[in-house]
Amino acid sequence: MTDPTPLVRIDGLSKHFGDTVALENLTLDIPQGQFVTFLGPSGCGKSTTLRILGGFERPTTGRVLLDGEDVTNQPPEKRQVNMVFQDYALFPHMTVAQNISFGLELKGMGRDAIRRRSSEIMAFLELEDFGARYPLQLSGGQRQRVALARALAPDPALLLLDEPLGALDAKLRGQVQQELKSIQRRTDKTFFFVTHDQEEALTMSDRIIVMNKGRMEQDGTPEELYFRPASRFVAEFLGETNLLTGRMRGTEGGQIVMDWQGTTLRGKAPRSLPGEGQPVSASVRLEKLDFHAQRPETGNAVQGRVVAKTFLGSRMALQIAVGDQAEAMLKAYVDVDTSERVGSDPVWIGWDPDHMAVLND
Amino acid sequence: MNDRPELFRGNRILLGCIYWAFVLYVFVPLILMVLMGFKDSRFIGFPIRSWTLDWYVGVFANTEVLSTFGYSIAIAVLSTLISVFVGTWIAVLLESRKFTGRPVIFGLTVLPALVPGIISAIAFRIYARWLGIEPGMGAIIWSHAVHNVPFVVLVVMARLSTLPKSQMEAARDLGADPLVAFVRITLPYLVPAILGASIFCLLLSFDDFVRSFFLGGYEPTLPVLIFAMLRSGMSPEINAIATVALIMTAGIGIWAERFTRRMKKDT
Ligand SMILES: Nc1ncnc2c1ncn2[C@@H]1O[C@H](COP(=O)(O)OP(=O)(O)OP(=O)(O)O)[C@@H](O)[C@H]1O
Ligand SMILES: [Mg+2]
Repeated sequence: MTDPTPLVRIDGLSKHFGDTVALENLTLDIPQGQFVTFLGPSGCGKSTTLRILGGFERPTTGRVLLDGEDVTNQPPEKRQVNMVFQDYALFPHMTVAQNISFGLELKGMGRDAIRRRSSEIMAFLELEDFGARYPLQLSGGQRQRVALARALAPDPALLLLDEPLGALDAKLRGQVQQELKSIQRRTDKTFFFVTHDQEEALTMSDRIIVMNKGRMEQDGTPEELYFRPASRFVAEFLGETNLLTGRMRGTEGGQIVMDWQGTTLRGKAPRSLPGEGQPVSASVRLEKLDFHAQRPETGNAVQGRVVAKTFLGSRMALQIAVGDQAEAMLKAYVDVDTSERVGSDPVWIGWDPDHMAVLND
Repeated sequence: MNDRPELFRGNRILLGCIYWAFVLYVFVPLILMVLMGFKDSRFIGFPIRSWTLDWYVGVFANTEVLSTFGYSIAIAVLSTLISVFVGTWIAVLLESRKFTGRPVIFGLTVLPALVPGIISAIAFRIYARWLGIEPGMGAIIWSHAVHNVPFVVLVVMARLSTLPKSQMEAARDLGADPLVAFVRITLPYLVPAILGASIFCLLLSFDDFVRSFFLGGYEPTLPVLIFAMLRSGMSPEINAIATVALIMTAGIGIWAERFTRRMKKDT
């Protein structure tokens, strides 16, 4: 709400299909030039949101503002928004060049201007050699680029992408992720990207919106979401984490104090928490655990014993049993040297309270 | 295990025999018909002692036969144009959205294909008289068009149901209003189906006897002419006419089949 007229303002958007609530009261501002990712499990309302932005679906309640103008009831052809479809939806009876020119023709551009713009965009996406080919004569990655070129050609204010990398194999996907991010930077366009792949979201986005069952769970940068998840759902959905279930003790000097396995731990709380004695859980990322021979003087610390080591190439995964009777387990990622230093003797495991998010259970 | 291939081979031979028996059953009458058209004698039957092309020369010199060919083709083309236009329209309406009464409309649309020819021909005749439509070319075209619409609807609907929803959405997204999207995206996608349905309608119309007989005026269509000629006795001239018609229709049918198959593979 800092920007007076954001590029996109989504205001109290809901969508119901009969009894199914696909989207519930979503409010969101997107400034120009951001790479925003909508992340969430299957059926959480990602495509529905995108389709409302594109004009293919009317919201049950709420409004969509584009550059300050209410476009909620505008049909797709009137909006300065283009979409890259999950199946690309390239027109099979048109060549690559014709596919790309389609949107330009319908904008009423002249013949020369169309030719100039489409060769410009084809050069930009390295498609010059494919202009005369039909979509069926292209590989998956090339088709994906054509779909992107076709959507970018009319110079939309907002580009929508619905899981556009889903059809690509893992190796190509990594490559295209980098490409897509760099295209977004170079064009300075606003990308609204939908995925259910958390890794993809973390690598590409300026900002991630995590959705769960039609509701927004959290809105933040990849780092914020990863290290300071606002809910248990976010903590578990993004990467691996240690979830420590304990009881709330109170607040002290801006930190949350909780009990876990007879130890007092301190952490940060992104959201308001229940009162003393209520159950809470805390999330600590695997790579944030340190190993010490002595009890560290500051921060959180528990004593445990490494019970299993798994070699993962660039790092080791350790399983740690905490407490005398192995009441709880922790997992940690460490480098190979640290792993060799830590034997099967009891060790102290410590972490910074800033890296522990205390969450509503 | 050892006798499996034997059994398999036995099956194959049996299947082969059945297949060739079927082919003979279908084609022997046709072959006989074609052969008799080249026989140098009025009497139809074996043995054939000498050959001639006189019957064909006679047919191509007979202006009545030639104009009847032209008449039948004109009826086929015009009725096909109407069927394809109406049928495609109905198919698009039926496929585009689910509305109440859709199954009823669909049922009514395909019904004309299921009514026995003789019944629909008599019904048309009565209806035409009631409306004051003279028997003749217009009435025949009308009845053929109505009869052929269901085939167009079925073929076009089948094709339309395989058009991904995202195609139309992509067109709209890029600035096409619904009509432009239909003309630029849907219609090209339907071309193979429309072509296939057209050929089918052409052949159905060209081949039709019952409706043409009941609704015709003084000018006969080709099947009606052949029927009339038959009444004055079998003649190798009829075989020649039939052979020409056979080659034409088979040629168009085979070409169309290959053409539409290639187009469908391309898209
Ligand atoms: N046209 C529709 N009619 C009825 N229900 C629908 C329709 N479209 C979506 N839904 C329902 O709305 C909910 C959200 O669907 P949506 O397609 O937005 O999910 P998604 O987050 O994109 O999931 P995925 O990752 O599987 O694509 C789902 O429960 C879905 O079944
Ligand atoms: Mg989806």
